[in-house]
Amino acid sequence: MSNIPAIDRASRWKTIRRETLRALAALAIALLVTFIVVLFTSKAPFEAFTQLLTAPVSRVRTVGLWIDDVVKLTITGLAFSLVFQARQFSMGVQGQVYIGALAATYVALSPLGATWAGIPLGITAAMLAGAVYGFLPGIAKAKLGANEIVSSLMLNYIAIELCNFLVRTNLPKPQAGVLTTNDFPDSAVFPALVANTRIDLGLIFALVAVVVVWFALYRTSWGLKLRLVGHNARFAEYSGIKATFIMVSAMTASGALGGLLGSMFVQGQTYGKLTVLFEGGLAFEGILVAIVARSRPLAVPVVALFYGYLRQGAQLMNIRTDVPAEVIGVVTAIIILLVSSSFSFGFIKKLFNRDPARVSAPVAAGGAAK
Amino acid sequence: MMELFLTVFSAAFFVTVIRTTTPLLLATLGGLIADLGGALNVALEGMMLIGCLTAVIVSVYAPWYVAVAAGLGAGALLGLIMAFFAFRLKADIILVGFAINIFAAGGTVFALALATGGDKGTSINLPSKAIPAVDLSVLSNIPVVGPTLTAFLSGHSVLSWFAAFLVFAVWYFLYRTPWGLWLRGVGEYPAAPEAAGIPVNKIRTWSLVVSGALAGLGGAQLAMFNYVGFTREMTAGRGFIALGAVLLGARHPVGALLAALLFGAFEALAVVMPGLFNEIPAEIIRMIPFVVTIAALVLFSVRAQRALAMRGAK
Repeated sequence: MSNIPAIDRASRWKTIRRETLRALAALAIALLVTFIVVLFTSKAPFEAFTQLLTAPVSRVRTVGLWIDDVVKLTITGLAFSLVFQARQFSMGVQGQVYIGALAATYVALSPLGATWAGIPLGITAAMLAGAVYGFLPGIAKAKLGANEIVSSLMLNYIAIELCNFLVRTNLPKPQAGVLTTNDFPDSAVFPALVANTRIDLGLIFALVAVVVVWFALYRTSWGLKLRLVGHNARFAEYSGIKATFIMVSAMTASGALGGLLGSMFVQGQTYGKLTVLFEGGLAFEGILVAIVARSRPLAVPVVALFYGYLRQGAQLMNIRTDVPAEVIGVVTAIIILLVSSSFSFGFIKKLFNRDPARVSAPVAAGGAAK
Repeated sequence: MMELFLTVFSAAFFVTVIRTTTPLLLATLGGLIADLGGALNVALEGMMLIGCLTAVIVSVYAPWYVAVAAGLGAGALLGLIMAFFAFRLKADIILVGFAINIFAAGGTVFALALATGGDKGTSINLPSKAIPAVDLSVLSNIPVVGPTLTAFLSGHSVLSWFAAFLVFAVWYFLYRTPWGLWLRGVGEYPAAPEAAGIPVNKIRTWSLVVSGALAGLGGAQLAMFNYVGFTREMTAGRGFIALGAVLLGARHPVGALLAALLFGAFEALAVVMPGLFNEIPAEIIRMIPFVVTIAALVLFSVRAQRALAMRGAK
């Protein structure tokens, strides 16, 4: 995670160009592998691949689906960027999404949900709930030394089960047996920005969130401290920064974003109600967005734009051809592997150059590149 | 409450505990080897899941032991891929691990749909095989204790016995062989073994390969004994629980066994409880292993920190 403040503009542009090239190369390799997989498994591989690459822009409705994905990927990407910049591997965004969604649902289905307060209160409740859920693994690590990866993952499963439980037993349902709540009153659902699409108020929230996270990370002392802790927690500690406080606050802030995403799911045009397992694994894909964006908030929406396109392309390919959408998991994994490694254009050469005397050379190079 | 008490102290419950513990124990031992080599293997979950699917699909066409070996091999291969990206290409090992988890979550469903001709949920229409149980009913010929011994020891998976043996084997490897010493040295302070001419990266690579192999073996047990057949996301966090068990088990094979038994016992409780208390919702029961993992992690971390403070290391 390179986030050393650029000294001059020229070197910054150079970095951006290099990172963009790397990301595009990784994308190309991932698509190539996908194409080979599709070639071997599909009866109509070319049609499937064409769908993957063109389907999202085929209709106004599909563009809406794409933008909706982009908005959500941006938020989860920001949430992961925040913790990654502090070098915390809190993986709790998924749990925060469910907890946030639950909080938003309770507000939306309460008498308050039918008033003008439905949207602001729903979002606030969701963000608070998410923040608490992000705070828990943070404080457990800071005070007790409990590994944040394991505890945040456990909290994810607990949140999912809690959501299942409350939807089944506690929340009002249109009829017994269905695993979804009543539709929210209109006043608690984000208004659509473009009629008949899923593009809604969430887009504005995502844009605001990008600016806020960027400002917090690069224009406040908290952000500076956070990035210092991320670079070298001990150095930060020596220079008088309370590293544990920064870690916990980064996880809490990231949790608030996760909660916001939860409210965007259930209060958005997509659902307008709470359904079990509504998130569909999207939260974890923020890892990819954050890594490719090098945890830079301003790069997050750009990456989300590309990745959301692929994601939606895969969903549509799933509907229109015989290739399952889950093939996107392969693309995601390859991109994460390539972008997070010291892979570069010279990498293929290095790969075949297995001179034992030079094995330690990439070690030094890799260390310096960080 | 009485029924629960009687259930928990029955031989049948003991057999259930062994059954739920075995995949966890195998994955935990895998996590332990990686952890001692200095790499937190967060990909245990994905490795198990791919081990499950590989074992199920291979078992349709081959005998059960070939299928188990295939599950093991799939895990080992993933370990090798992880090592390649983490050590040769210098990627952050936690990110590599999550890449493998994401690959496993999507890739298994993709492969399942291909293997079953479109079913994305289960492999129910594939005639997959099971790992045989070891029948020790001959023990009942022993006077007095015979029937009890049979009830407790008979009917476990072959892999359960193997896993029990592995605890000893891993202990022997770690503390009685030079390679075990190297592995621990590499995890403790890589610069020292490096200076002593020990091939650090090679050892780390092997530790991940073995770690993956054990996780894959755990997956095979899960999909060929605990359940017969594959269901999407059937590992349901067991790989992550195993990661917790590694930390809880004080990075020692016997500790790993105890931690895996603890989590296995709570999972077994979650298995038997719905039959006993139908007033407790299933979701709450399913939460038990995760809540216990967090609780154990927190309690153990407190103890570990106190011990560290007492030694004056902090």
